[in-house]
Amino acid sequence: MYKADLRAIRFTLYEHLKVQRLFELETYAHLSREECDAIIDQCFRFATEVTGPLNASGDRTGCRLADGRVSTPPGFKEAWKKLFELGLMSFTIPVKAGGFGGPHAIGVILAELQSGANTAFNMYPGLTHGAADLLEHCALPEDQQRFLPPMLDGRFAGTMCLTEPHAGSDVGATRTRARHLEGNVYALSGTKCFISSGDHDLSENIVHLVLARIEGAPAGTKGLSLFIVPKIWVNEDGSLGAPNDVATASIEHKLGIKASATAVLNFGENGRCRGILVGGRPHEGMRQMFRMMNGARIAVGVQGIAVASAAYLNALAYARERLQGSSVRHFKDPTAPRVPIIEHADIRRMLLEMKAKVEGMRTLAVKLALHADLAAALAATDEGQAAYHEGQVDLLTPVVKAYCADQAFRICEMAIQIYGGAGYVQDHPVEQYLRDAKIFSIYEGTNHIQALDLVARKLQSRGGENLTAFLKEIGGFVAEHGARPGLAAEVRALGEAAAALQRAAGALLEFFMGGKLDQVTMVANAFLEIVAEVTIAHLLLEAAVVAGAGHGAADDEHGQEEFDFARGKAMAAKHFVNYVLPGVHTKVSAITGGDRSALDIPDGGFSTAR
Amino acid sequence: MKILVAIKQVPDTATQVKIGADPRAIDTAGITWIVSPYDEFAVEEALRVKEKRGQGEVVAVSLGPDRVKEALRSCLAMGCDRAIHLNDPAWNGADTLATAKALAAVIKQEAPQLVLSGRQAIDDDMGAVTAQLAELLGWPCAYWIMEEAIDADGKTVRAARQMEGGVEVFDLPLPAILAAQKGLNEPRYPTLKGIMGAKKKEIRDVKAADLGLAAEPAQLSIVGLEAPPPRPPGRVIQGDVPTAVKELVRALREDAKAI
Ligand SMILES: Cc1cc2nc3c(=O)[nH]c(=O)nc-3n(C[C@H](O)[C@H](O)[C@H](O)COP(=O)(O)OP(=O)(O)OC[C@H]3O[C@@H](n4cnc5c(N)ncnc54)[C@H](O)[C@@H]3O)c2cc1C
Repeated sequence: MYKADLRAIRFTLYEHLKVQRLFELETYAHLSREECDAIIDQCFRFATEVTGPLNASGDRTGCRLADGRVSTPPGFKEAWKKLFELGLMSFTIPVKAGGFGGPHAIGVILAELQSGANTAFNMYPGLTHGAADLLEHCALPEDQQRFLPPMLDGRFAGTMCLTEPHAGSDVGATRTRARHLEGNVYALSGTKCFISSGDHDLSENIVHLVLARIEGAPAGTKGLSLFIVPKIWVNEDGSLGAPNDVATASIEHKLGIKASATAVLNFGENGRCRGILVGGRPHEGMRQMFRMMNGARIAVGVQGIAVASAAYLNALAYARERLQGSSVRHFKDPTAPRVPIIEHADIRRMLLEMKAKVEGMRTLAVKLALHADLAAALAATDEGQAAYHEGQVDLLTPVVKAYCADQAFRICEMAIQIYGGAGYVQDHPVEQYLRDAKIFSIYEGTNHIQALDLVARKLQSRGGENLTAFLKEIGGFVAEHGARPGLAAEVRALGEAAAALQRAAGALLEFFMGGKLDQVTMVANAFLEIVAEVTIAHLLLEAAVVAGAGHGAADDEHGQEEFDFARGKAMAAKHFVNYVLPGVHTKVSAITGGDRSALDIPDGGFSTAR
Repeated sequence: MKILVAIKQVPDTATQVKIGADPRAIDTAGITWIVSPYDEFAVEEALRVKEKRGQGEVVAVSLGPDRVKEALRSCLAMGCDRAIHLNDPAWNGADTLATAKALAAVIKQEAPQLVLSGRQAIDDDMGAVTAQLAELLGWPCAYWIMEEAIDADGKTVRAARQMEGGVEVFDLPLPAILAAQKGLNEPRYPTLKGIMGAKKKEIRDVKAADLGLAAEPAQLSIVGLEAPPPRPPGRVIQGDVPTAVKELVRALREDAKAI
């Protein structure tokens, strides 16, 4: 069953990160905390009552391709209809475009609840939302009018079509071609593969956003343009025309997210596929697509948090119920009473690591979204502040994508470990969570592509100021709380880890200067993990401080529940700092030590087996 | 047609209720409050009547402390036009009759043609307020309603409820009161549009004095609350099927006296 911890979520939103300050800014003044809470409640209800119950059944049934059409598992159509009636997918779309103009900081939570209840189902509306957001930013007004309203009310769905058989991580190798017909209309031909929601039966029409090369355009990503390619042509008055020569050649049979159709699409097999150039601007496809990709990268990180949280809360519930063994204090007495496994230290250790990571990652994702909201809200009045927030968004996006994706899989693995044999079989949800979670580190740019983006682009943009500002914030926290009773040692450890991070960044810079690019790429993933773990340690400690980890015992003013909550925050922070954060130093010394083992081993040295 | 829906705010069905420091009340710390589910059927039905007739007004009413505003707000988010909050310390500890009297007074002021409520609130399961209300107003009332249809000119309502082996059908002249049973409809979720629109709608605070009522001692008092005794553990009957079935039949007959 889908579980979420709304108390923990509200703490992160309102007590820790204080997102309610957004409602004082003009951009979000039409909203209030009460409304956002009501929306979160409805979203949770939708997740538990509508899509949650379809998660396991969708996994068992999967999608089917027959006569060129994909059918989704039973119940998906009704859920799709209900979701768009509710209006959840329009929450962060600006009011002028027909949405509700809500902040992304709340949107992240709505996305978590939806993805956690049913990752595969949420792919369809998630991509539709991302495509609509791109069109809202980049498309010509007349094309917005033609496509946006039906995408916001669920009549049309959306996709992103980058990948081709020989162009995966290397998007620049795209071969799909576009030939000019008239105005902004082009004839498209080519094959895209691995296209999520490439075909399905949930909506009347599907709007594919396709990267293609206009004839004569330069090679690489600079020569790519973006096209709106509807499955069924849409006339200028919005009515549906003829099918647009987009064929579904096959769908994948895969490890997880089985209810999300992953399609091979052939565009223009019969020479009759038409696409509309986005914004009427050729060769800007990559920049435009990045609008959707940045959103999608955060969304993938949030998928990771969502599944990890569901796995954690299920494992926790199981650990409270499953009786096995007796307390270690009675190890000599075979008749000692059986205890729930949550009493065993090894189970507690795993649960606490999961809690710390889930709550820390969620806080990081909300904080990233809050930076994005503040950047948007301050753009007109305070350029300097807006640029700072924008810089943090840039810096943290690959970190959220890759770290949350990796950890989601590991947290699911730990959840299965807690269940024991019961976790390995389909009677419990955790084996599906593990299978579903693996894709997160692969799509939307593999985690290594994220790490390259961090070290090669994000660290260096704005003259390295993003990292400086980021470290300054942590330095301020360490200075303020370095003597805090109960947490002083941990806060100081954070300070040391942040200093180590800076040394690693320095080493990377030296590698760059010394032309050792291979060494940069070899340690990029480790560097991304360092940034993530320092950030999360900071946020967990801050949460412990905010929760009032100071008070010693439950008293009249602080009831038992509140006391437990605050202690939980303090222990999560301590555990993370004492068991996870030290890994930062291991990684930093490997980087600064200049180890080249993975580069120096000859290809033949891996094995002589062929 | 003007329709009034009487709703109650109750602890979420998933709440693990604990007895409070005062053993006559539950501990409300940390409770999530919701609109009682049967009352949601009543709200939904009122909205459907309005939609079907193409005009009308749906007013949600509730008695209780400040937190009840949240429940009224969610009725507004579902689509009610406005709300009345009977909010006065004079009603602290109000029993069903005091609640019915307050509601009757509001209903006299508002003069709706139809009043809807749930068949009972899921907190204390009394199911008395609606009947007492009908008695105070002298209006016809039907409980456990699973179907209703109002005639075209809004003079009568035909309401049906399920009986063992059949359906019992009533014709009630309006104004009348109906108490909803599960199955009457499938309550809608408040949409984002509804939630955003709700803050522009009125929730009017009403005090006892506004209705010409004075605090009355409750006629019903709670002596104490006790958790139900823990359920004895279940029993697994071992053995091959023929012996196990024999043992099961014997146990049902002799131990449980169920057959
Ligand atoms: C279920 C699913 C859904 C998907 N949905 C979509 C979708 O909706 N739209 C879409 O366009 N695509 C989609 N994809 C495709 C996905 O984005 C690609 O699989 C991904 O970008 C990786 O490309 P690839 O599979 O070709 O792997 P490759 O690019 O061949 O990568 C293989 C390995 O090599 C590494 N590698 C590749 N290049 C480099 C390099 N330059 N330096 C160092 N290491 C490198 C990678 O990190 C990876 O570990 C989906 C894929 C799957 C499986």
